[in-house]
Amino acid sequence: MLNLNPQTLKKLRRFRDIKRGYYSFLTLLALLFVLMIAELWVNSRALVVSYEGDLYFPTYTAFHPGTDFGLSYAYETNYRELQEQWQAEGSDNWMVMPIVPYNPYENHSPSNIYKPEAPSLSQKHFLGTDTTSRDILARLTYGTRIALLFAIVYMVAVYLIGIAIGCAMGYFGGTFDLLFQRLIEIWSNIPFLYMVIIVFSVIPSTFSIPMRIAILLIVMVLFSWTGMTYYMRTETYKEKSRDYIAAAKIIGASNTRIVLKHILPNVLSTLVTFMPFTVVAAITSVTALDFLGFGLPVPTPSLGELLKQGTANLRTAEWIVMSAFTTLVVLLTLVTFIGEAVRESFDPKKFTVYK
Amino acid sequence: MKTIYRNMTGLMAALLLAGCGGETEVVELEIIDNTEEVLAYYAAKPEFFVFKTLADIPTDLSWEDGSDLPEIGSDEAVKGGTLYNTIQDFPRTLRRLGPDSNGSFRPYLLDYTTLSIAHRHPNEFDFYPGLATSWAVDKENKTVYVKLNPAATWSDGEPVTTDDFMFMFFMNQSSYIVAPWYTNWYSTQYTNITKYDDHNFSITIPDAKPDMDSRVLQLGPSPQHFYKALGEDYVERYQWKFQPTTGPYVIEEEDIKKGVSIALTRQDGWWAKDNKFWRNRYNPDRIHISVIRDTTKVFEAFKRGDLDQFGLNLAEYWYDKLPNEDDDVQAGYIHKSVFYNQIPRPTYGLWMNSHKHLLDNLDIRTGIQHATNWQLVIDKFFRGDYARLQSSSDGYGEFSHPTLKSRLYDIDKAQDFFAKAGFVNRGPDGILVNDNGERLSFTLSTGYESLKDVLTIMKEEASKTGLEFRIEVLDGTAGWKKVQEKKHDISFSALSVSLEMYPRFWETYHSANAYNNAFLEDGSINPERTVKTQTNNMEMIALLDMDRMIDTYRASDDKEQMIELAHKMTQLHHDNASFSPGFYQPFYRVGHWRWIRYPDGFNLKYSRSAGEYYVQWIDTKLREETLAARKNGETFDPEINVFDQYK
Repeated sequence: MLNLNPQTLKKLRRFRDIKRGYYSFLTLLALLFVLMIAELWVNSRALVVSYEGDLYFPTYTAFHPGTDFGLSYAYETNYRELQEQWQAEGSDNWMVMPIVPYNPYENHSPSNIYKPEAPSLSQKHFLGTDTTSRDILARLTYGTRIALLFAIVYMVAVYLIGIAIGCAMGYFGGTFDLLFQRLIEIWSNIPFLYMVIIVFSVIPSTFSIPMRIAILLIVMVLFSWTGMTYYMRTETYKEKSRDYIAAAKIIGASNTRIVLKHILPNVLSTLVTFMPFTVVAAITSVTALDFLGFGLPVPTPSLGELLKQGTANLRTAEWIVMSAFTTLVVLLTLVTFIGEAVRESFDPKKFTVYK
Repeated sequence: MKTIYRNMTGLMAALLLAGCGGETEVVELEIIDNTEEVLAYYAAKPEFFVFKTLADIPTDLSWEDGSDLPEIGSDEAVKGGTLYNTIQDFPRTLRRLGPDSNGSFRPYLLDYTTLSIAHRHPNEFDFYPGLATSWAVDKENKTVYVKLNPAATWSDGEPVTTDDFMFMFFMNQSSYIVAPWYTNWYSTQYTNITKYDDHNFSITIPDAKPDMDSRVLQLGPSPQHFYKALGEDYVERYQWKFQPTTGPYVIEEEDIKKGVSIALTRQDGWWAKDNKFWRNRYNPDRIHISVIRDTTKVFEAFKRGDLDQFGLNLAEYWYDKLPNEDDDVQAGYIHKSVFYNQIPRPTYGLWMNSHKHLLDNLDIRTGIQHATNWQLVIDKFFRGDYARLQSSSDGYGEFSHPTLKSRLYDIDKAQDFFAKAGFVNRGPDGILVNDNGERLSFTLSTGYESLKDVLTIMKEEASKTGLEFRIEVLDGTAGWKKVQEKKHDISFSALSVSLEMYPRFWETYHSANAYNNAFLEDGSINPERTVKTQTNNMEMIALLDMDRMIDTYRASDDKEQMIELAHKMTQLHHDNASFSPGFYQPFYRVGHWRWIRYPDGFNLKYSRSAGEYYVQWIDTKLREETLAARKNGETFDPEINVFDQYK
């Protein structure tokens, strides 16, 4: 990656020149960064607590039972209440709470009834609450983070498998190619959604939630890598018959070297243009699965679950569907813009215009 | 990426096809006539199937006919109109027995629309006649004598006779029907049927019970002429055949639109239409039931006027989605009604599998009881409308324990009990850990998708006590299967209970339903016992004391003794702490369009739902008036009624 060839550098420069895509890319990066540090701004734990002269930073540490701060209970400190208590007492102890002082799991209802409540600045429920009075912004933030990370890991995994098998098929050809083509045809005819639903329904719930998400990911990858192999295979076939490959062979380069050093960089442009769309597909399908109730395990925050709640409460709590929908649209638009820009900048015909 | 889209379209296409399809190949079935086989079966069981003459009926019997009971229907009711209902899943079969027959369509096919020998009066509890004109109980000989109504006919015109009752035993005892519960019940809970003539017979049960009449009177016959071809292929052969009924509604073949809708049609010449207890009921000419899978869509269809009625039991519907201020309610087009009923309550709660590691510890189970915050769920999620269940046998009058109270949410007590079981320290996430490094964490599974919010609330509350619930939301069938296979840790579910005099204990608490050979002869635990699946002992209770009491209770015909035992068993069950009683709903609520009319007091004391006894009727004129008024913007007085006469 360090020694990019001039061709690639040119493409990257062109990408920078396509403003819409470039700024979308920067926005997405910023968004990703903000989401990665979500614990610092959307959290029920305080950022800093000063208690009897000692400073505590509970965000990323083990939980602090109430007894740590002079409370009577042994469960996790309720920092919001504690802060109010200290302020009311005029105590010397103080703390700084994140902007959104809620975690995505807790039920916090200003009206004492668990129902969707409209956005409220004073309660710091900036996007309102969902059907069981959980903060929507908190669920949205963590839900989006999971979806994005999920999509990125999904993309990398799908590409690794797709490229490896596709390249091998194109490069070795012959029986190997024939065999794998048939295998892929059979494999890709297994209904993907059904399989995900079936497999996910038999995963024992004794597994931890990250484990179950990982399994969902693996299942989705297993049924999605096939599409990539077709492109890789044809591209490799094409490159393989070029003179420079023949030359490399005569010099005595090994297969690995030829594939990695010569073929891969030349087919990269095809690959790169697909990437953003794979991300889009991953986000959509994990959201769709959640919407259907077969995705991430309850009570993991997710866009699909919010959408589902939203559509079920369209008449009475339109803020739920609005925030989930807007997030999804923004996210998918950003990624699509990036995708278009990448495709354009990697297009060898510079002056083609999209019609 | 493309594959995903392609597969999604594939899935859509598959769903569409499944929706449109349903044409099955016509397979020539072997012609079966089982008349000989049935007779041979009767002959082979001469103790069970007995043939006598009218002269053999004892003369000193006291015959009852329920004639002093009040009528059920309202004389204001008029016949006519179509009632539009909905169902979530298309029925998987029209059979009344065997695989898939116990689905949500069953009430339309069987429970609410057919006649038994006699029925419990929904206001008075005593029996009123169905197929019989009178009956007599001979306690000493554990026998109930029945005189059938000679007018009673099947919907295909054939008369209902004693033979249909004898055949009922043949059918339910046979293995053809693939329904082991029924086979077992009809083989063990009855010992004899005696035919005196075509309309007189008696049935004997093994143990005299205070309510032994109900065990016989609630039987419904099977039409022998229709089941001539009953044989090994019963399940396929009768899959989509509508059995002639003794009730008012039939299903015509052209009304079965698989996957889309199904309709019941009222027979004009129904034999019981003028009988005292059956007139003015079953008023709509047609009941059209369409399949709508999504509750939200059902509600929208109701608001459009496509459906006549919508259940508003959930607080979010009663208060938020169809509030009293709603335009259609304020304009009087839609009426809202709350009816307080009195029925044995379904046992919503946490069923803990005490066979599982850690859950076999009484302290942990008691701790879990104190760690489940039902009151919060009731107050905040159900908005105080529901009430806390106190035991698993509430709502049985004097048979329910008078003073027992379920344990309250109490963080300190929960922690004390967990500490007794060795869970003292909390891990970095606040969940208790014992010295072996085990976390205090259990899977909490449920098949109630609509109540999953209850579980997420309880998870948050339980984590304060250091207990973790891993929530697993399954679809209804899978959730039920999991508990039936005893694979659950803790299950949030409920057993629905029918209107009975006293609670049953054997099904849920007897060791015979927990393990095969639970105890050795000396009363000690059999080390080689194996888990028994497919039973309702979902807590895996195996207590010798309980077994003994249940056995006495089952054999007893002394009401006082049974009450005492019921209280003792309820207490013992409470002490075992394997069931955390949840909530019950003391009423039902519905929203219905103005043209759906109910009797004055709305419904009957022991009704479970507004439609159970079919006392409502459709005023077709009001329907036109209301629809026209809605178009022109005319309004009526809003009607929001609370019927608390049975509260």
